[in-house]
Amino acid sequence: MSDTTLDQSTTPNGNPKRNGGVVSRFMDGFRAIPRVMLWFIVAVWATPTIGLFISGWRTRDDQRSSGWWTGLNPFNWTFDNYDTVFGASASGSLGDSLLNSFAITIPATIIPIAVATFAAYGFAWIDFKGRKTMFIATVALLAIPLQVALIPLLQLYVGGAHLSMPFIDKTITIFPDLGLVNTTTAVWIAHCGFALPFAIFLLHNYISGLPKDLFEAARIDGADHFTIFWRLVLPLSVPVLAAFAIFQFLWTWNDFLIANTFAGTNPEARPTTILIANLAGDFGRNEHLLPAAGFVQAFFPIVVFFALQRFFVRGLLAGSVKG
Amino acid sequence: MTTLEATEAQTDEPAARHDATVDDPDAASPAKKLATRIMYGLVGLTLVYGFIFTPKVRSTVILAVAAVGITGGLWVGANLLFDQATKRWAAFNAARFGLSAFAVTGIISGNRLTNDGGDGGFFANLISWSWLPLAIGALVAAVGFVLSGLTNNTQRIGLGAVGFGVAGAIIGALLVPSVRPDIDIIATLGWTLGVAALGAAISSVRKRPPARGAMVASAFGWTIGAFGVPHLGSGSIGWAIFATAVPAAIIGARIGLAPAADRTARNEVDKRSRPFIFIGPAIMFLMMMLVIPAIRTLYLSLFGRDSEDFVWFENYVETFTDSTSLDLSGFWDAFFNWPMRIGLVLVVIFVVVGKKMKTRTGKWVELGSPSMGPLVLGIVFLAFAFFTTTRGTIINNLWWVVVVTLVSTSLGLAVAVLADGAQFEKAAKSLIFMPMAISLVGASVIWRFMYVARDSSKEQTGVLNALWVGLGRLSTGRGVAATLLVFVLALGAFAMVLNAIGKKKWTRALATIVIAPCALWAVAWGWAQLDGSAQRIIMGAFITACFAGLAIAMYKALGRQEYGSAVVPGGAGLLLGWFLIRYWGIIGSGVGGFETNTAGNIVSSPINFIQESPYNNVFLMIVLIWIQTGFAMVILSAAIQSVPDEILEAARVDGATASQVFWRVTLPQIAPTIGVVVTTIIVLVMKVYDVVKVMTNSNFGTQVLANDMFNQAFNARNTGRGAALAMLIFISVMPIMVGNIRRMQKEN
Repeated sequence: MSDTTLDQSTTPNGNPKRNGGVVSRFMDGFRAIPRVMLWFIVAVWATPTIGLFISGWRTRDDQRSSGWWTGLNPFNWTFDNYDTVFGASASGSLGDSLLNSFAITIPATIIPIAVATFAAYGFAWIDFKGRKTMFIATVALLAIPLQVALIPLLQLYVGGAHLSMPFIDKTITIFPDLGLVNTTTAVWIAHCGFALPFAIFLLHNYISGLPKDLFEAARIDGADHFTIFWRLVLPLSVPVLAAFAIFQFLWTWNDFLIANTFAGTNPEARPTTILIANLAGDFGRNEHLLPAAGFVQAFFPIVVFFALQRFFVRGLLAGSVKG
Repeated sequence: MTTLEATEAQTDEPAARHDATVDDPDAASPAKKLATRIMYGLVGLTLVYGFIFTPKVRSTVILAVAAVGITGGLWVGANLLFDQATKRWAAFNAARFGLSAFAVTGIISGNRLTNDGGDGGFFANLISWSWLPLAIGALVAAVGFVLSGLTNNTQRIGLGAVGFGVAGAIIGALLVPSVRPDIDIIATLGWTLGVAALGAAISSVRKRPPARGAMVASAFGWTIGAFGVPHLGSGSIGWAIFATAVPAAIIGARIGLAPAADRTARNEVDKRSRPFIFIGPAIMFLMMMLVIPAIRTLYLSLFGRDSEDFVWFENYVETFTDSTSLDLSGFWDAFFNWPMRIGLVLVVIFVVVGKKMKTRTGKWVELGSPSMGPLVLGIVFLAFAFFTTTRGTIINNLWWVVVVTLVSTSLGLAVAVLADGAQFEKAAKSLIFMPMAISLVGASVIWRFMYVARDSSKEQTGVLNALWVGLGRLSTGRGVAATLLVFVLALGAFAMVLNAIGKKKWTRALATIVIAPCALWAVAWGWAQLDGSAQRIIMGAFITACFAGLAIAMYKALGRQEYGSAVVPGGAGLLLGWFLIRYWGIIGSGVGGFETNTAGNIVSSPINFIQESPYNNVFLMIVLIWIQTGFAMVILSAAIQSVPDEILEAARVDGATASQVFWRVTLPQIAPTIGVVVTTIIVLVMKVYDVVKVMTNSNFGTQVLANDMFNQAFNARNTGRGAALAMLIFISVMPIMVGNIRRMQKEN
């Protein structure tokens, strides 16, 4: 930390360059420190992931008797762990939970984008009373951590919502008990709600910044809001939509808390994160499967991340204030 | 510009002239086109469905497509519906009335307040539940259709009242016996008049005709009076019809009272509907998922564990008085432990070095690489001093916030600066940023393998314990101690290769790559031939030489008044000096994971990283640091690159050293961004859950607020306490989030 600029400070501006002498040469070696430090940090940062990757290919006995760094020979590697985690077992099949993850991630990515784009357009380009107040209120919801919503939402999923009428001794059901608890649907619906404040904020920033002339020209040509939205706003917003889509995909794919709350006890509906957390929970018994399962779980986000890094960074830069 | 063309294409001429993407000649209604496309998509998927055989895959695909399709379909449908307001008013009016009546009757019927077929399987239930809403919907839709064509006011009112009244009467006739009211006429009229007066007052305050407000309100008043006052279930079917038909007729009359819609009114409907269509879905989701649940959580947090007894703030008080969540009994010990001493020394070093560095800025102490390093480390140590002696959930959370925020931000800044303009900058940054893509659960699993501690009789399989035990073997000077030597030499070779590549001397780089492994092998082989004591002496001599080198480097740098160059060798020298003292046995013996057993033999002694409280918290924090450093780096790196070159150039021309440029020009420029990073990480850390859950399941003194909240609410079934903890998280992140939101508002 403290030696970030060491290379320059050892040869301060204007000083004659020191030549010769063992000590001076030794000092010159310090100029390589920033580079060495950078790559040292990179090596430290990469080591855990590399270790996981290699462990996944080693047999149970190998994993237990020696460190992964002794098992670098690819000819000794085995598919056993991957076979086991994909096959049906007591703790559930990884294949099924990958599908569950997709069943959660796809709606939870597409629907908030759609709903937030409508709203962002509405807030930016449709005139109506109380627009500003409503927008500020929506953005203010960013301040609510999702923990606050978990208990009532679970109650809603378990028993529906009922309103007891003040005079008659009756409760009216507003939201019926649809048996949503412990389904992937419960999880993605919650994700949709939690994603919206951030999505609306992000998209509104972008959409309200589109040139005004464009909209006026379109309106003079007789285009209604739906046409403008569909033909003008959507095509122009592709970069920011992509940024948010990646952000949201990674967020939902990697989420554990929401899935664990709404689908944690149903082996049929749980996504990969829960499967892995459960594997890690059975102390010892299935520990040798963890690296393989963990690697498969991390595979999709890492691919998305490397393929679309540019968009992802943009999404992060735009304001990483997700509740 | 293609989109603009597309818009023009719709209004100017048929699309044939334009490119293939604008393919619809009936361009006036893209909504209709979209609906057709969705239909084709659904048909296509049904076909594909036949070819997907695994039930799980099939159900996943169906779920995802249905969810997305229904949402999109509803929205496009709403757009299409309101498009008709200006085009086909009668149809629109019918649809509007019909859907509203369907919704209202649906709630009544869905609550089993009307007679129906009872339980006869899903479809039978669906039919018995939906036939009445459908019928009423159709009736009201017909009324709406006719109403839209009538212009005579009397006829309008009459038709509205009769039509709606009949619908109300049908519902009344079908009410189940248990809700048939035995109407008390006086009370009902009283309620009706009272609420009507209220409605009239509200209408006149809003500068609208009071009679209309009074009519709507009187319908409500009637319903309350008819169903609220008497006993339900003792009335006859006639009373039931009377109770429902009257308010329905009043509403119908009110609708008929409004003048028939002309062109302007229809345009107005079209215009007013759009905000609802565009913003409505979002508001609905937000209300259902965030606003109402948040209010309900606040409500639940004031009740006991079963949400039955109102306990005021007991749940909150408990959270602060319970010794598992806040235990301050060890507070005074914090002033006498080792982290406190080390932290204080580091802060003193910060002050001394900062004073010494002070040149022309006139600040109390100069901020720079040599002074900030000790300060950051010092704060971390001081935090350790307090958070290892006072314990509890809340303390743990604070500890997380201080350490993770400070370390991730400063490490991220350091990497951003180190990587700026370095060789392979992108690759280095990507590797450090990659953990951001891995889930917290995955990261915790990864680090569990780093922290594995095995019995001392076995080989260590966790990287950290292997290194620790290896260091222990090394520092006692016994056994094969080549590890460190080879490591140092390898690092040197690596640096030489990098250096050669940096200077584009490819042959030299290649030669080093070839020669270095041979040299390493030779060293390792030669080392293995020596006996223990010789190894010990050679090793000691090597380390002593390194120490001497560092000391000389520091001395020289001090002589030149280059404090930045002095602090690094100084710090490294201190560590190495301590190691030397232990190595030669001047104080104690050895550093690292080993112990001498009763037989006098040296055995390895691994650290149980995730079980030894309180420092296991730190090893959990490292997981989050591992992830968040990449985040801080990316954001800060972008900020550093956006500092205008002219300012930096001007500073350099004025004779500032690179270090001064960074601390006095770049850093103030990126200070707001550092604020963003810090606040973002604080909010994230306040809510940390996954890491603790997977690594320790909150055992061994690692409990944090979010995890406690989950356990209380969903495992211990203590809803009140869980809700209170959730509110506590909310309250603690709120000021930061509010600050963040205000800043973002200002930026836009």
